[in-house]
Amino acid sequence: MTFAALLTKELRLRLRRERSVWVIIIYLVVMGLLGFGYLAQASAFNGNQNYLLSQVGAQLYNLLAVVQLFLIVFIAPAFTSTSINGEKERQTFDMLICSRLSSFSLLAGKLVAGLASTFLLIAASLPLFSLVFFFGGVSPSQVLNAVVVFVFTAIPIGAFGLFCSALVRRPTVSTAITYMGCVFWMLGPWVALLLLRGPSLLGLGSGTTPHLLGWNPIAALVSTLPGGNVVGTYPLGNHSYPLWIVYSVLSIVMTFVFFLLGMWFVKPNPVGRLKFVLDNAKWFSTPHIEDDDNPEDDDADDREDIVTV
Amino acid sequence: MIKVEHVQKRYRNVDALHDLSMVIPDGSIYGLIGPNGAGKTTLLRILAALIPPTQGEVWFDDEEISKAPSVIQRKVGYMPDFFGVYPDLTSIEYLDFYAGIHGVPRAKRTQVINDLLELVDLTSKREALVETLSRGMKQRLCLARALVHDPEVLLLDEPASGLDPRARVELRELLRTLQGMGKTIVISSHILLEMAEMCSDVAIIQGGKLVLAGNMDEVSQRLGKGRRLEIRVLERVEDAVQMLKESPEINNVEHENGDLISAEFSGDDRALHKVLAHLITQEIPVVSFAPRSGGGALEEVFMSITEGSLPS
Repeated sequence: MTFAALLTKELRLRLRRERSVWVIIIYLVVMGLLGFGYLAQASAFNGNQNYLLSQVGAQLYNLLAVVQLFLIVFIAPAFTSTSINGEKERQTFDMLICSRLSSFSLLAGKLVAGLASTFLLIAASLPLFSLVFFFGGVSPSQVLNAVVVFVFTAIPIGAFGLFCSALVRRPTVSTAITYMGCVFWMLGPWVALLLLRGPSLLGLGSGTTPHLLGWNPIAALVSTLPGGNVVGTYPLGNHSYPLWIVYSVLSIVMTFVFFLLGMWFVKPNPVGRLKFVLDNAKWFSTPHIEDDDNPEDDDADDREDIVTV
Repeated sequence: MIKVEHVQKRYRNVDALHDLSMVIPDGSIYGLIGPNGAGKTTLLRILAALIPPTQGEVWFDDEEISKAPSVIQRKVGYMPDFFGVYPDLTSIEYLDFYAGIHGVPRAKRTQVINDLLELVDLTSKREALVETLSRGMKQRLCLARALVHDPEVLLLDEPASGLDPRARVELRELLRTLQGMGKTIVISSHILLEMAEMCSDVAIIQGGKLVLAGNMDEVSQRLGKGRRLEIRVLERVEDAVQMLKESPEINNVEHENGDLISAEFSGDDRALHKVLAHLITQEIPVVSFAPRSGGGALEEVFMSITEGSLPS
């Protein structure tokens, strides 16, 4: 019941903001303009080279899918990366703590509300994607797989943003950390591959996906695109699995990890509680809780001591 | 009854509270008085189970707060000194949200919210966005929020700060109504005269230490200043002044102009009755006899502990 109350409030607040409407409009306009620009260019090109319509459809789809992925990574962090510290900044956090809201319900409500906003963008863009079926070259299952990649990209980003907002006091800092984390997640493995294997296709095309790309959204999306077998399949034991499936499973695991960390950090004095747990685990000493003495923490009031949330 | 026993709160190397003990009786309006940084907010946050004391214990009846903070939080309605609101929610939605996260059953919520809005006189603003409410209205709405789960104890941190005189009077009346409903109210404030008029008990805190605590009349007497008497008579003012001066419990009789006499009274209610009876039997035409609680005395002690500077 407490979760439902929080979710209702979050959705009300988010959907009432004028910004929400503008985000959807701008999102669709950007996607639409890119698609239109590509079609205009392809039409001119087609006049000389007798292009197949299915090739136009596949390339248009690839373009839209990649743009969609980058837009999700660009927008999704904004929905959760200030969820917890925003409450503290707004001076409403104490009043949440004084209720029956558990830390699980608090984080779950914030995460679901943040993801609902992201999923709304993905759903709003689906009609644009359906345009490619006029041209052919893309199967419905490929679109479905790509949507799965979009969803399992948005979910861990949401959980990571939530974790950052519980960890860091200032909303601007948590937002910056979330974006940096997302950029590293997207591009880091590719840069590492480039450094390790040199520029010759990064070692791709051999049939198996490098482990570094096992949890990379770009590689996962490419694996769902027409001609996406360039990233190969991911080997696990004696079997190989399509990368987008491995990616989705890893995303679920990482979401749990970030969520649990967020639950730990959303309670006051996480450091003191960690010391408490470690003290009791190592030496079985008398339980005691110390105040957080982190010198970088400006306001002891909001970070101190154990509280049942 | 809330018992605070030898509570200490330490932030790094600073003692916010030091060996503080007090008893807050059931059904009282208990005022916490002290300058900025005295430890009032820290004490209220400990009572709200938001932070635990470094040492010492706090008991709500037979339950120790650190053993069952979530149980205590259900008994307590807390209104912080600085609080935020969700500006894009209406008053009803705001209260509905807090009722939800306090576990008020959905079927009861509408009735609870309507009753609370009526109590804080915001029924006409039920559909108004919170951001459009005045500060006084927001304060009352926040008080309604603190009451949404029908707590036994209300903890109010500077609830009257920033309010205009009318809003303060309304708040004071509201708190009296709540006391009449059996709530125990712990309130911190800098507005000493109002605290003196409103509170049945007070505690004066300075530098994290308890300076003085107890029933309002006891505190006034222990301060040696007593209550202020204001007496208005129709005629024979000089005779009345003389009679008052002869009374052993009365000091500093003042009669500046007209028919108003003021004096300091240091006795109990029985002695006060004797003074009034004496005036009446001597056929002094008393039209008003108003003993006032020791706001002046409180102010004096507050001024002395804050070294002559009243906070804004």
